[in-house]
Amino acid sequence: MAHDWHPEFEQLVDEHQAMVYSLALRMTGDRGLAEEIAQDVFLELDRRMGQLESAEHSAFWLRRVTMSRATDALRRRRVRGMDLWVELGDGDGVTAEERTSPLGARLEHLMTTLPQAQRAALILRYQEDMMPEEIAAALDVPLATVKSNLQRGLKLLRSKATSHLREFIRGA
Amino acid sequence: MEHEELDQFEQELRQALERRPAPPGLKGRVMERRSARMERRSWFARSFFGSKSAGSAGRAHSLLWMRVAATVLLAAAVGWGLHWRVEKREEQRRGEEARQQVMTALRITGHALNQVHVRLAAHDRGE
Repeated sequence: MAHDWHPEFEQLVDEHQAMVYSLALRMTGDRGLAEEIAQDVFLELDRRMGQLESAEHSAFWLRRVTMSRATDALRRRRVRGMDLWVELGDGDGVTAEERTSPLGARLEHLMTTLPQAQRAALILRYQEDMMPEEIAAALDVPLATVKSNLQRGLKLLRSKATSHLREFIRGA
Repeated sequence: MEHEELDQFEQELRQALERRPAPPGLKGRVMERRSARMERRSWFARSFFGSKSAGSAGRAHSLLWMRVAATVLLAAAVGWGLHWRVEKREEQRRGEEARQQVMTALRITGHALNQVHVRLAAHDRGE
């Protein structure tokens, strides 16, 4: 079907590189792997440019493909028996403290301990501010599963945070 | 109270999960890989299909590539066919050999049974 949306590839990379990289990084916990995934996703985008109909469509496509590639990468690494989650602390020239509060850095780290499906749902919900319906479409899973993963993930994260961060909870 | 705490927690989580900046040079590396891929594609297209701007030399070059590819394919097909035929003949030979062995065994068994039968008959007649 013909459409009027004809963006520049370079412009799309500029616009979405932080989103794609952050999604891959938070899913895999490995900066090198996240960059590799981001590069592959953009090259795939280049091949599919003609099929994308709007800015929203391209953002949706990028999120979907990034999450799928990150999941595949995690599966491959599990098969090879490699240990993931190097660290999500300082990086990219920005320390965790500069970027966010100590609690934020701790929460980000605790996210890495959640089951993969719950982590994926929470990342899309709180990083990308997506609604459960949108998350279900992006991850290609039933809405009920997404809602359940969000609820369970949040509960688990809260309980981990409560036990790890009693000081903050008391102070808040 | 529970709801308020959850809201505050979710707010903190939202802040913790703000997008990270992409590593410096990511865009450049993507563009490099894209250029390399486009270069490979155009080389492939030039090599196999020639180009309008290449003129007769380019077309001769692409024809040469096509001939080489066709020859390799043909040689592979002929080689595979010969190999298949040799395998088939060998299989038939082994089958025939096995059949002969079975026939010999049956003949020996038949002969032995005949001998037994003759002796039993002689014994019955009191010879």
